[in-house]
Amino acid sequence: MSVFHAINTSGSALTAQRLRMDVVSSNIANAQTTRASVNENGDYEPYRRKMVVMEPKGESFQSFLQQATHSAASSSQGVKVSEITEDQTPFKTVYNPNHPDANEAGYVHMPNVDPLKEMVDLMSTTRSYEANITSLNASKNMLMKALEIGK
Amino acid sequence: MNLFSGTIQTLEGSLDFASAKNRVISNNIANVDTPGYKTKDVTFKRVFDEELNVSFQAKQTQPRHIPFSQENPQQPFQIVTKQNTTYNHNGNNVDIDKEMTELAKNQIYYQSLVDRLNGKFNNLQTVIKGGR
Repeated sequence: MSVFHAINTSGSALTAQRLRMDVVSSNIANAQTTRASVNENGDYEPYRRKMVVMEPKGESFQSFLQQATHSAASSSQGVKVSEITEDQTPFKTVYNPNHPDANEAGYVHMPNVDPLKEMVDLMSTTRSYEANITSLNASKNMLMKALEIGK
Repeated sequence: MNLFSGTIQTLEGSLDFASAKNRVISNNIANVDTPGYKTKDVTFKRVFDEELNVSFQAKQTQPRHIPFSQENPQQPFQIVTKQNTTYNHNGNNVDIDKEMTELAKNQIYYQSLVDRLNGKFNNLQTVIKGGR
C-alpha cells in the first residue's frame, strides 16, 4: 500500500470536481446557444444541459474481479467521472419572431439550461473542492509529521 | 530485557490505525457528491470481534473446525460501511461536517502519537548517553 494513498484519493476528487466546474461553466456559457447541433432533419438544435456522473473508484465489478484474481489488496480508492450525460428535459419555448431560428409561428427553442440550477451546482462544486483541499493538507501534514519520527 | 518497551509497539499500532482512518476519511470526502456512496469507518477489530463472538459462537465438535471469525493479528482494525442511513436524496450518506471534524481530530491524534514516540526515543537517548 502506497504512502501517498490518501493524497491520491483527494487528488482524484479534485480532478473530478474541476471537471464538474468546467461542465457547469460550459452550461452557463451556452445558456443562449440555439445552434449547438444539427438533427437528422437538417435543422438546428439548441444546446442541451450537460451533467457529470460520478462513481467511487475501486467499487466497480471490474475492480472487485481484479482484487479476487490478483489476491493483492490493490484497491484504488477515490472518485472518478464515469460519464457526462445530457439533460433530456424539453427545451424552453420563447416567443421571438425576429429570431433567425424562430419557426413559422414565431417561437424559438432555447436551451434547457436553468442559470439558478447552475449557480447552485457551482457553489456546491466550490465547497467540495475546498473540503478536498483541506483533506489533502491534513494528509500532507501527517506525512510531514511522520518524517519527524526519531529526529 | 527489552530495550524498546511495549509502549512503542502500542504507539506503532495506533499510528497504523490513524493513517488507515485518514485514508478512509479522505475517501469519504472525495465521494461527498457521488450518488449511492455509503460512508466507511474504521473500527478496532478486536473490540468488534469480541462483540461478535459474544453473540455468535460457532459450535466446534472437532478442533480442526473453522470458527466464524478468522482474524489476522497483524491488523487490529477493520473498515466497515454504514449502510443503514441516508442523508441525501441520491442515496449518499456522507455527513461532511462529521468527516471534517473526524479529519481534524485524527490529525491531532496522529501528531500527539508522533510526539509521544519521539519523547520515548529521547528518553532512551538520555539513558544511552548516561544522562549527559
